[in-house]
Amino acid sequence: MIRVSSATLVRPAHFGRKSVVSGPQSTPAGDEASLLGLYLIKRPNLVRFFAARLQSLAAAEDLAQDLYLKVVAVDPSTPVENPMALLYRMGSNLMLDRLRGERRTAARDDAWYRHRRVDIDGEDVVDEPEPEAAITARQRLAKLRDAAEALPPQMGRAFRLHKFEGLSQAETARAMGISVSAVEKHLSAALKALTRAMG
Amino acid sequence: MNASPPIADAVIDTAVDWMLRLESPQAGEADWLAFDSWLNADPLHAVAYDRAVLTAEDARAIGEVFRPQTANVIPFPRRAPSAPAQPQRRAIYGALAAAGLFAAIGAPMWMAAQPTIYSTAPGERRTVTLKDGSRIDLNGASRLSVKFSRGQRRTTLDGEAVFDVAKDASRPFYITSGDRQVRVVGTQFDVRRRDGRFSVTVARGIVEVAPVASASGATLRLTAGHRLDHTEGAADGHVSSVVAEETLGWRGGRLIYRDAPMGDVVADLNAQFARPITLSDGAGSLRFSGVLMVDDQDEVVRRLASLAPISSTVTKNEIVLRADPSAR
Repeated sequence: MIRVSSATLVRPAHFGRKSVVSGPQSTPAGDEASLLGLYLIKRPNLVRFFAARLQSLAAAEDLAQDLYLKVVAVDPSTPVENPMALLYRMGSNLMLDRLRGERRTAARDDAWYRHRRVDIDGEDVVDEPEPEAAITARQRLAKLRDAAEALPPQMGRAFRLHKFEGLSQAETARAMGISVSAVEKHLSAALKALTRAMG
Repeated sequence: MNASPPIADAVIDTAVDWMLRLESPQAGEADWLAFDSWLNADPLHAVAYDRAVLTAEDARAIGEVFRPQTANVIPFPRRAPSAPAQPQRRAIYGALAAAGLFAAIGAPMWMAAQPTIYSTAPGERRTVTLKDGSRIDLNGASRLSVKFSRGQRRTTLDGEAVFDVAKDASRPFYITSGDRQVRVVGTQFDVRRRDGRFSVTVARGIVEVAPVASASGATLRLTAGHRLDHTEGAADGHVSSVVAEETLGWRGGRLIYRDAPMGDVVADLNAQFARPITLSDGAGSLRFSGVLMVDDQDEVVRRLASLAPISSTVTKNEIVLRADPSAR
């Protein structure tokens, strides 16, 4: 019987990641009332879902382990309205983190490079070439920015306010004097056009 | 861009619809199951979905990258556009520095840097974002001193922190902690120094740990999923493979142990609560495995006593843990 409680025993002294995680996960008993219990019951379904998304069973198994650690870390006293949807969402966020990883590093390098160059603007003391990953990221972002410039004016404005300026959909609607559902339609159409354009 | 399979516009459109539908807080299990079957209908669907997600992600990044980063700009005297080429400029700085003239003409911040101190009380946690973008989660009862210069980023730590260091190969990031120095280029890891015991646990990337100049010992390279335990004054340490997320769990209020000395458990708890916990009657030689949620101190001690062969004596000023006679 495995249940997340404030104090849960961990199997001692087995450091291999696989053995540690497969211990509790392979336990067939589960308690659907807790998030961990639901995870244990639904793990095969989740792995299939991850595999469909990641196109790799091994990566899906890895992700299921990462998700296990997240699930264990959820405070069991937190009420969860739709626990299965939460498990899918947590898994999706982990997949997004994975996709982001490389790009975020590149963007941060880029930001740092710019930061240094801005610091010493006019002094020209930068003594290293711009990292290649940062150049690639920068080119891709510039392409996306240009594609966004080419959107129809209202659609482009909604997209820029929401995504570039970080306004919420409601704030975007207020700023443009249109309804939230009109903003949603603009954003959806913009994302479709831009995803196609970025190919 | 790298070559990717052509995907019909209609599939891209559906992928964007899915992304927006699942982002909505109203998305329920039925939505996810329907999405699952859409993914399974064609391997290209997953590719299209990733593209949609990354386009949305890039759009968010544009705001950060192309917007002027005024918050990060360090004031610097602007010169005429006819500024001389860089070697000369450096030579001038060198001469000025040698002549001690910098302060008088407004030295750049990195020249005049005084260390910045961040500290936390027991039970307090703090997240610090440094100006290079590095993020540090400082655990309770800890103290971090930060001093950046042009060629290096130097910090000193007492207590415990998780470092998420921004990558900058030309400016290594150093953490001095007791008689060890940690050197990184860009990665995420936990550094802990309490009661003369030092450890580094690496979650991402590679970290180099070396003795400080006055100490002896080998320089070690740790990769992700490894932990070094070292007792101050000793020449070496012990490297083991671990699930790094567990060591980093304190940030979420969870302390996770696998066969850990009871002294480490108590040191961690003492970083969380003002009332000190001490070990007596052989409790210090026990080892502990388990997960402790950090909430109320009396509760945590009660749960610890239910998981380990110890009993506690609680007074207003301290809590004493004793090994049960059978465990001595």
